[in-house]
Amino acid sequence: MARYASLYGLFLLQRFKVLLEYRLNFLIGASSTVFVQAAGIATLWVVMRQVPSLNGWSFDELLLVYGLLTASRSIEHMFADNLWTIGRQYIRSGGFDRFLVRPIDPLFHLLADRFNHDGIGNFVIGTLLVVSAWASLGIPLLPLYVLYAVLAVLSGGAIFIALNLLTATTAFWIVESVPVTRAVHEMHEFAKYPLSMYHKGIQAALTWLIPYGFASFYPASYLLGRDVGWLVWAGPAVALVLLLVAYRFWLFGLRHYSGTGS
Amino acid sequence: MSQNQPAIEVSHLRKVFHIPQRDPGLGGAVKALFRPRYAEKVAVDDISFSVPPGEIVGYIGVNGAGKSTTIKMLTGILAPTAGLVRVLGRDPHKERVANARQIGVVFGQRTQLWWDLALVESLNLIARIYEVEPKRYKELLEQFSYTLELGELLAKPVRQMSLGQKMRAELAATLIHEPRVVYLDEPTIGLDVVVKEKIRAFIKEQNRAKGTTVVLTTHDLGDIEELCSRVIIIDAGRVIYDGPLATIRERFGKYRGITFETARPLEHPLTLPPGAEVVGQEERRLELRFDRTRASASQVAAAVMGQLEVLDFSLSEPDLTSIVKQIYGGALSEARPV
Amino acid sequence: MTLRRLLSRYTGFSGMAAKEFLAYNIWFWMNLFTSAVAMTIFVFFWKAIYAQADQIAGLGFQQTLNYVLLAQVIAGVGESGILWTFGYQLREGRIALELLRPLDFQGMLYAFSVGNWLTGLLSRTPLLLLALLYGLQPPADPLAYACFAVSFFLGASVMFFFEWMLGCFAFYTTEVWGLGVTLFAIQLFFSGTLIPLDMMPEGLRLFAQILPFHQIVYTPVSFLAGITPVSQAPQVFLGQVAWIVGLAVASRWVFSRAVRAVTVQGG
Ligand SMILES: Nc1ncnc2c1ncn2[C@@H]1O[C@H](COP(=O)(O)OP(=O)(O)OP(=O)(O)O)[C@@H](O)[C@H]1O
Ligand SMILES: [Mg+2]
Repeated sequence: MARYASLYGLFLLQRFKVLLEYRLNFLIGASSTVFVQAAGIATLWVVMRQVPSLNGWSFDELLLVYGLLTASRSIEHMFADNLWTIGRQYIRSGGFDRFLVRPIDPLFHLLADRFNHDGIGNFVIGTLLVVSAWASLGIPLLPLYVLYAVLAVLSGGAIFIALNLLTATTAFWIVESVPVTRAVHEMHEFAKYPLSMYHKGIQAALTWLIPYGFASFYPASYLLGRDVGWLVWAGPAVALVLLLVAYRFWLFGLRHYSGTGS
Repeated sequence: MSQNQPAIEVSHLRKVFHIPQRDPGLGGAVKALFRPRYAEKVAVDDISFSVPPGEIVGYIGVNGAGKSTTIKMLTGILAPTAGLVRVLGRDPHKERVANARQIGVVFGQRTQLWWDLALVESLNLIARIYEVEPKRYKELLEQFSYTLELGELLAKPVRQMSLGQKMRAELAATLIHEPRVVYLDEPTIGLDVVVKEKIRAFIKEQNRAKGTTVVLTTHDLGDIEELCSRVIIIDAGRVIYDGPLATIRERFGKYRGITFETARPLEHPLTLPPGAEVVGQEERRLELRFDRTRASASQVAAAVMGQLEVLDFSLSEPDLTSIVKQIYGGALSEARPV
Repeated sequence: MTLRRLLSRYTGFSGMAAKEFLAYNIWFWMNLFTSAVAMTIFVFFWKAIYAQADQIAGLGFQQTLNYVLLAQVIAGVGESGILWTFGYQLREGRIALELLRPLDFQGMLYAFSVGNWLTGLLSRTPLLLLALLYGLQPPADPLAYACFAVSFFLGASVMFFFEWMLGCFAFYTTEVWGLGVTLFAIQLFFSGTLIPLDMMPEGLRLFAQILPFHQIVYTPVSFLAGITPVSQAPQVFLGQVAWIVGLAVASRWVFSRAVRAVTVQGG
């Protein structure tokens, strides 16, 4: 464990050295995601100027939902972005074999291989949104709440990573897994708004099937004192179970790979 | 591990790929999902050999013979369909991590270095991944910088390197953890003569100094001639020759060449002793080859001189390339050393 | 060379676009799915919004729904992706080869883009069906469709030349990813893909109208959604043609400068 942590640190250090060499790309990349989020937020702002609430949620409350989701997403974006390109960049070219002849875990190697700075913009935006919504909504700054919010973002991030791991593993069979990952990942768009706004079926899907709801709606509900039942506490457990399932599937895919090669 | 245990042991190794067959289009994709069809491809059919520690073995064969597939099984990347693999007494696939610490691999076509990182940073990372002791790492880095002439390359990212520079860097990266077994899959592909020489010298030196076992795959028989005392030739996933390099020459180098320079162009067909034939003819140049078990050089020369005015002539020894070409060319039964 | 032969050479490229397009089958379905998700979200979103107000910026629920659904149907179709194309060709070192072809480089890519727009529009039919399912009420007036088609084509051409100019940045940076994402975001908002420009506060709306992005979504869709009356079509078209002429000239000039910069560097 300690070995992996220090190895990760080294990978990260090298990555930043490269990024600093291409300072302009670094800045454009890290800020590009800010623009994407800004487009979404600006739309929300334009619309919410005209009406008092969306399904009983004020603009600031919506920003809390949006911010929690964006912060969760940024964790996947920064630390697990290589899952997106595993097929294209590693399996097709045979580069994945390199991981298999090294004495470390191939999944660790894959993830550590490229920290993605584009996610930093998302992280900053998400955090800022949560903090500013927190302040303007007057949510008390209790340690419990802060701890809860941090845990919610972490488990939200884990849910994003687990779902991407699950879909990226298909690369061992179909090589180009991006369309599969993208299709599942896209469902997080639903979770940018309060789930209560949707049809029951969609709500259930985003809670039990593709549980992005735990990255935004449920924790926001808890912080705002809205009653949505015990589900507000389920996030970490859901994340853990999903990670385990995804990791088992990954191992299964890896076994398939060693049977077929690239 | 005892001293006389082989470094690599392979018996009745087999690898069959199941290649999914798919009709084009979405319909095809859906159908393939529910009722997959496969075509079988036997890449490695039945291969057995064993390599004692410290040996350099040439592992050769035509394109698609199954060389890379064998190496992938030896490194633990692929699991064999059947058969047994032992590397330093371990099953490389089942004990992947333990095996990985002891081996080094070069896949000539691709790099294991990070594209954007300066070489020295890549090496630092690799040394940490393999947990090379820092003091030892420093020594080795110095040593390699000298023998592989890495000096200025250390600060360069791989993406800016030429092919030859890349391969030198690659070798350093592969050997920095002092593996006991090294697999080199076409390490000299696309390189010029000078770089090839350097690389061969480096491999030889590592083998001599550390007793590193080397399995070398190549299409350049110069590599084999310089480095290997033993050659394994495979074809269609089977071993067709396994033995000393010298034996190949002796046994299969039965043709020799003889070239004449004549005063006038050849006008009528030549009468030649049995076993000799014309293989090339230009203006005033005549190339022949003869089976030395059936005719001697002097017989052939005398026959030609009797029919033509010869200005000059020269004899050529069979070179490995043409011998191997002959073996690849289908002389399977001849090739098996009895 | 006769005009017909010249034309056929360029239309060859349009045809190629269609073939390449079909090769990426799975991508095609993924794109449809992504748009379907966005549509679904918008339907619920606007239903919830209009539960609070009858009219927003003068638009009733049905009108907004029509607009938003149609905008999703054609979202992204009018883009030419010139920035990505340049980025790719520069990275692979192919730009010099492309410039060596005995065809006008811009003309070739334009023909290619036209092919992409046509196949793009056709390929979105499943989304149109979904939109109808979600309550889209298409206009009855055939003229509205004609105006849509013309203004979409003109608007896409405007954006082609605009993207061409921005694409020239690729010659100066080594990576276009960040720039591309940024452009995508700006376009997403200012094209009116997410909301009709009418809903924006006055200053923002004017700003959006100065930028060319609205030409590929807002301008054509608002004919179909009944926001822009057909009678205004001539003015709109004229404005678009003016944009095209200006940008076509400017883009060629910028491009020649960019190419020179690269050849000087020897890249
Ligand atoms: N992952 C795979 N899936 C399906 N078939 C494969 C796979 N890898 C190799 N093959 C097939 O197995 C056979 C042996 O391939 P291999 O790469 O081992 O040959 P090789 O001897 O290394 O050839 P070369 O000299 O060209 O490198 C070939 O016919 C190849 O097409
Ligand atoms: Mg090979």
